[in-house]
Amino acid sequence: MNPAALLKRWETLLLAVLIAIVAINVLESRYYLSVGNFINLFQLSIEKSLVALAMALVIIGGDIDLSVASVMGLAACVMAWLFQQGAPLPLAILLALGAGVLAGLNNAFWIAYVGLPSLAVTLAGLIGYRGVARILVEDRAIGGFPLWFNTLGQQALVGPLTAAIVIFLFFFVVFVIVLHGSAFGRLVYVIGSNIQAARYSGVRIGLVKTALFVGSAGVAALAGILYAARLGSVRGDTADGFELDIITTVLLGGVSIFGGKGNLVGVGLSLLVILNLRNGMGLADITGNTQNYVIGGLLILSVLIPNMSLEIRNKWRGRET
Amino acid sequence: MKKHLMSVAAFAVLSLLPQAVSAQVATATPGKAVSMVLLPKFLGILPFDQAHQGAEEAAKELKNPTALQFLGPTPQNSVAGQIEIVTNAATQGVKAIMLSNNSGDQIVPAAKAAQAKGAKMVTWDSPIPSSDGEDVFVAQVDFGDIGKVMADMSLNIIGADGGKFAILSASPDASNQNAWIAAMKTALKDPKYAKLNLVDTVYGNDESEKSYTQAQALVDKYPDLKLIMAPTSVGIVAAAKAMQDEKLCDKVKISGLGLPSEMLAYTKNGCAPQFALWSFIDLGYLAYYTSYMLATDAMKAAEGVKFKAGRMGEYTITKDPTRAKGLRILMGPFTVYNKDNVEAAAK
Repeated sequence: MNPAALLKRWETLLLAVLIAIVAINVLESRYYLSVGNFINLFQLSIEKSLVALAMALVIIGGDIDLSVASVMGLAACVMAWLFQQGAPLPLAILLALGAGVLAGLNNAFWIAYVGLPSLAVTLAGLIGYRGVARILVEDRAIGGFPLWFNTLGQQALVGPLTAAIVIFLFFFVVFVIVLHGSAFGRLVYVIGSNIQAARYSGVRIGLVKTALFVGSAGVAALAGILYAARLGSVRGDTADGFELDIITTVLLGGVSIFGGKGNLVGVGLSLLVILNLRNGMGLADITGNTQNYVIGGLLILSVLIPNMSLEIRNKWRGRET
Repeated sequence: MKKHLMSVAAFAVLSLLPQAVSAQVATATPGKAVSMVLLPKFLGILPFDQAHQGAEEAAKELKNPTALQFLGPTPQNSVAGQIEIVTNAATQGVKAIMLSNNSGDQIVPAAKAAQAKGAKMVTWDSPIPSSDGEDVFVAQVDFGDIGKVMADMSLNIIGADGGKFAILSASPDASNQNAWIAAMKTALKDPKYAKLNLVDTVYGNDESEKSYTQAQALVDKYPDLKLIMAPTSVGIVAAAKAMQDEKLCDKVKISGLGLPSEMLAYTKNGCAPQFALWSFIDLGYLAYYTSYMLATDAMKAAEGVKFKAGRMGEYTITKDPTRAKGLRILMGPFTVYNKDNVEAAAK
């Protein structure tokens, strides 16, 4: 790729923004550059980051999964409820992951085989799975998990890295291989960019979509359990509202909401941008409301800049000729 | 000989701490630089702004050169936001975090990590249920007192001749309100309240509209109702408005727990002659004093420790009777508002 084309790429812009944010953070806070802070920076949002990877695939495939945060809550509540009923925790975790997969199969059935829009189906899932979670745990908190579980969520596992961070890195590599290096990944792009063409060329759309939604819900269930381990207790509102942060990250990463476009390098950079920005603002004692304004503004710019730069380029060309 | 040495040593220690012996009441040393964070459940509602105001008042009085940080999450992101703020405060080496906990025990790992980095964790308004990761809880009022105050206000308004009254609460599973109503029912067993007749309890779910229609339904159902008692700041305003709109304020009075600024008009026009609340300004002030004194080692968070909190006077750290373990400082008392003092408090 020539340098000019590289400059125009979304990822290049994200990288520049990231460097700027890191530079500002280094100058503004003497607490920023420390191993402990970097671990916190990832650890505080690691579950959302993990789900964002799967969400990227779903959106590139031309769909959306609004139910992920509710599936996180569902898995955490199923696990906590079973544990409270006396099930050994490893069994409870397996069954909770199973509940997540079931939720994904349910989504996939209505979307891939009945043909309903994923926006509607997963919106119903957002409400329904959260409802089940709240029924299971009611208006209380379930905690008192075995020490190994809390340690897994809260202490370093490999060097300074926590288990959740290690799992995230593992999934990042797996998803990059699946999306960018496999036949399945190519099918996701084909379906996302032109589903009619995919249908006429005999792509088994139903199977691909099922894999995407089951994958998304499965990863969300795992993330919900990691979240429970990090916080040490579970409530009915666990992970409530996380879906919007997750989708924001994916879109800022250059994934088109209309499907067919985007890649995981962009999503990875977008994660780094948002996490470093939030961390920097937190260390500068900027409150939640303002943080949301800034990140919302960033998202709007991420839509505006590519369009504006296209327009400016066109005008420039018009002047030359 | 050994005994003698011990007593000499004890005397030496005691003479070094004269005020500790004579008064046993710890006092604050103003002017120390202590970085402190006031962390409400979320930003954007009046009680937390009032607590902030009280904390700033204490900060000024104690001449803390380090500015107080008032940091809160958005209501939608309260749990994750509180955890993030506590974690970042620990990274910054903040010396005291004052938390109105909205995260249940989910805040515990972050709170413990902050303590491990040397921060004092003082909760106010709402404690950490397990009390893990918490130094002390500054409680507004005792639940039993709330019941007694509501019974007294009912008696004052309805009068010695007695009559019917009903309760308009928040949601059926709101743990605060349920505890207060139970406390009120216990208080009502006293013979002096014998002529007060509690006929019904209804729920407005802390939604203005539902509370409004529930209040209307109550007066339809009980034509001789004399009082609606609403132990929720949303319900009390809605009920007062309903009675005012129906022009029933002469017959049916409203009382309960409410914010002076929201109740001003109804107290002035007689719809709600009396209502009560604790002062969130005082709560913020006391939380700040407590945290400052703990962070400057002016006192320890231990049972039986007495300290002086500026204009609010003396307090004692006790075991918290409402939780399995944990320490509590009970602020108290209630302020009962009427037409004479509501205006000043509403400002």
